[in-house]
Formats: sequence, structure tokens, C-alpha cells
Amino acid sequence: MINVEGLEVSYGRFKEPVLRNVNAVFDDKSLVLGPNGSGKTTLFRALCGLTKIRKGRILVDGVNVEEIYAKTGVIMANFPEVLSLLSIKVSDLLRLYADLTGGDQAFAHQILVGLGISETPLKSKKLHELSAGQIKAVCTAIALSTHAKHVLLDEPFEQLDPARKNRLIEHLIGYDGIIILNTHETWLIRNLADWKAFFMFEGALYGPVLVEELLKAKFSLREEAKAIMKLMVSGKTVSLVKGGRGKPVLSLESLDKIYELALEAEKD
Amino acid sequence: MTKYFSFNLKALLTNPYLIFWAIIFVEYWVLMWAYVFGANVPPYEEAISDYVSMAYGSLTIISLSAVATGIAETLIHSSKSIKFVTKYTKLSPARFLAENAASSLMVLLIVSAVMFSSMIGVFWHKFGMLVLPKSPLGLAATTLLSAIFLYAFSAFLSLLIVVLKAPKSASFVTFIPLMLSFLSYSSLWIDFKIFAYISPFNCISALFYHCYSGKRPITGGFFMSNGKELMDTALTTVSLTAWIITMLALVIILLRKMRGVSIEEIRLV
Repeated sequence: MINVEGLEVSYGRFKEPVLRNVNAVFDDKSLVLGPNGSGKTTLFRALCGLTKIRKGRILVDGVNVEEIYAKTGVIMANFPEVLSLLSIKVSDLLRLYADLTGGDQAFAHQILVGLGISETPLKSKKLHELSAGQIKAVCTAIALSTHAKHVLLDEPFEQLDPARKNRLIEHLIGYDGIIILNTHETWLIRNLADWKAFFMFEGALYGPVLVEELLKAKFSLREEAKAIMKLMVSGKTVSLVKGGRGKPVLSLESLDKIYELALEAEKD
Repeated sequence: MTKYFSFNLKALLTNPYLIFWAIIFVEYWVLMWAYVFGANVPPYEEAISDYVSMAYGSLTIISLSAVATGIAETLIHSSKSIKFVTKYTKLSPARFLAENAASSLMVLLIVSAVMFSSMIGVFWHKFGMLVLPKSPLGLAATTLLSAIFLYAFSAFLSLLIVVLKAPKSASFVTFIPLMLSFLSYSSLWIDFKIFAYISPFNCISALFYHCYSGKRPITGGFFMSNGKELMDTALTTVSLTAWIITMLALVIILLRKMRGVSIEEIRLV
């Protein structure tokens, strides 16, 4: 379980915080939904202890993330920058991380085959020589193959075609552990009805709400009394409501579009 | 040992920049020392032995410093990853440091062996005599001390960049070992006097010369004719050892403080 308490993160002492007073408990498979640039990746870096915390704290199974050292199997993430320990061939990188984490190299290969990546590029290329989509797939496969208790997946569906996205979803559903996944795409929530969902806008985290509730929910650009959740987007209140008027969450496809909605509402 | 040791060894030994600067570039200067600068060396044993010792001391430090530059660059590029693996894998900070040091030291020793054998071969071809070190054990010990110092120095520089969050300076800072080795190379013409003891690069070069020739090194100005001051080799060894201890202590402190610089930040720079 990961507890986030009053977290504030900024890049530089005098700069505006990227994360503002974030509070959350990640005790089950969870989604963090938000547009690009909302602070999702920064939140994930902070959860791994890779970003300096200005205020608040993060506890991983009761231990302050800053104090964790050499705890194999506690957290794994799919950031290319944390998986680029050495400039070696991808197949060697898979062997290296399987060795360091006690992970399952064969399972990583199985995931990659499912995602359409054959053995040839893995044996002949280094991670940075792959395409952006392949890099993301390799990093996600390494993260899942370690069987860590908490797996943080940063935009794992980026640059994957729909068939491969579905194959990856099957692995996520079958994973025996806590997955925290961030994305700006809303289409995938249909497949993850029993997960929890958080929203992230402009450095603030909202939620959680059960995904099955989100499936029927709509974004209303007004302050609604019966809202499941109220979000602040560009200084305006956006209410998440069950039924009634508004734009269904699923119809947005990408949460980047919420800003277009906000602009339209302003014109009206 | 984890697989990190063998993969780091392989990655460093196949790094094309490291191969170019540490071996090919220095081999060019070995050939220059033998066939161009060596044309006027008097044809008697002592002069040849002295000349080869000077070449060995001056060129090996450049070669090893080029390896140190490669090590520093590798560490900076993987800094974020180092922070992560030392938290969530078997590689604790101490184990990482031990395996990284062991594999890097092995690379430094392999490059030293390449330089040693190539210089013996090239100078044998030029002068028709085999010039071997007067103190092989001393040379081996100096090589080991130099390798430890250069590893610790490169690790210190790269961790400093990461802790100070200064990726903009990365390319400059990683070249510091190579720049300082060229400064020590200038001791062929400049007498550094007391500073010859302070600079670890001059100490290494002087100790290599001492073990190879069996003579006491001078504080500088090998090619100059005016009064030359002899160095105390014990003091030189103490100075180098003090540098090693200081650098290793700083590396351990910085390793716990670092949070990493992402590759994107370095690439953007």
C-alpha cells in the first residue's frame, strides 16, 4: 500500500509547485487519469522516491520512500530513464533486470511477443535505438515481469495499436499485485471496471472513484450539487455527475479535450 | 556478484568513445614518441630506458584518464537508473558501488595492460632493445593505485553533477580527468615544484616513471636543461593515497544524496 500525505513537489526552490497538496491511498489497482502536463509523471517519480519532496511524505508499506534502499520487489516502474542502467542490447537488459529483481525473463519475452516485438530487435538493438512505442513496450514488459508488489505504469498504451493495447490490458487484469497506471486516454476504463480511478488536473489529485461509476458519469461544466467529484480546470469548476447533462467521460477519448470543453463553456 | 558486474564490464569495453580516446588516440602518440620524437634519443641503454619510462609515465596517465572520462559519462547517463536500482533491487548503494568499481577497475587494468604491451612492442621495434620496468611489482602497485584513484575521481565528478543538478556542465566535467592528465603531461616542459605533489595526476605520472626507470622522478621540466628538483617517492605515494581516500569518502556521501538526472535533461542540453 502506498500512502501519499500532503505531497508538494516543485522543480526548483522558487518555482511553482508541480504537485499541490496531493493526498491518496493506493491499496488496489488504480488509474490516474489526467491530461498531458497535469503532473501524473511527476507524481509517479515522487512515488518511486526519484523527486525531491518539498512538503508532505510518501509511505510505501509504512516506510518513508526516502528511506527505502535495496528492497527488491517493492516497486517497479516503466520509466525508460530508470531502466537504462547500462547501454547494452535489450535482450541483455531483460536478463539484467530479471537478475537484479528476481524477475521472470521468459514472461517479459512473452509480453513482448504479444505486443508484436520479435526477438531480432531485442538481440540487435539497445533500448534507445528502438522506436518510442517499442521502448515503452519493453519498459512495461520489464516492470510487469519483476512481479513487484507495486508496479507504476506511466502511459503504457502510448503508440500501441488497438489489438496490442487489448493484449496489454489482459496482462494488467491478470497481474497479481497493485498496479498504478496513468494515462490521458479514457477509452480503456471500459475494460477495468473494478479498478479505482483518480483524476489529476494542474497538479491536484482528485478521487478515488470506482471505474464502474465513471462508465456512467459525465463531465458537467457547472457546479453541480450532486456531483461525485468536483475538479478545478483552468480556474473553473468541472463536476463529475452521474446521468443528467454533460459530456460522457468515455466520449472524450483523451482528457486533453477537457480544456476544449472549458473553452466552449466560456464562449457560451 | 550480480549480472551488473559483467554487463558493465562488457558495456565499457565495447564503448567506441572509450576505445578511441583511451587506446587509438594514445597509440598514435606512442608512435609519435617512438618514431618522431624518439629520433634524437642517444643510442645507449640508459638514455633509451629513461626515454621509454618518460613516455610510459606521460602517456599511460592520458590513456587511463580517457577511461575515467568514459566511466564518468556512463555514470551520469544512468544516474536516475542508479538511484532507482539501489532502492528497489538487490543492488544496495554499497553493492552497486562495489560492482561498479570492480568492473571499472578491471577496464582500467585491461587498458593499462594494452598500453604496457603496445609500448614495449613499439619501442622494441624502434630501438631494437626490450625496455622492461626496473620494478615490475612497483609498477603493478602504481597501476592499481592509479586505477582506484581515477575510478573514484570519475565517480565523484559524475555524482557531483547529479547532486548539484547541473547536467549542462556534464560534457565539460566528464572531460576534467583528460584535461588534468594533459596538464600533468605539460610537466615535461614545466617544473611544477611543490604542486607536483598536490596534483594526483602528476603523482601518478611520476610514480610510473620511477617504477619503470628505477630513478627518482623530478618535479617537472624533463625536457628543460635548468636545475631539476628530485621528488620524494614516499611523499608522492602518500599524496596519491590521501586523494584516493578523500575521493572514495566523497563518493559514498554523494551516492546517498543523489536523485538522478534524467537522460532527457542531458540530451536537451
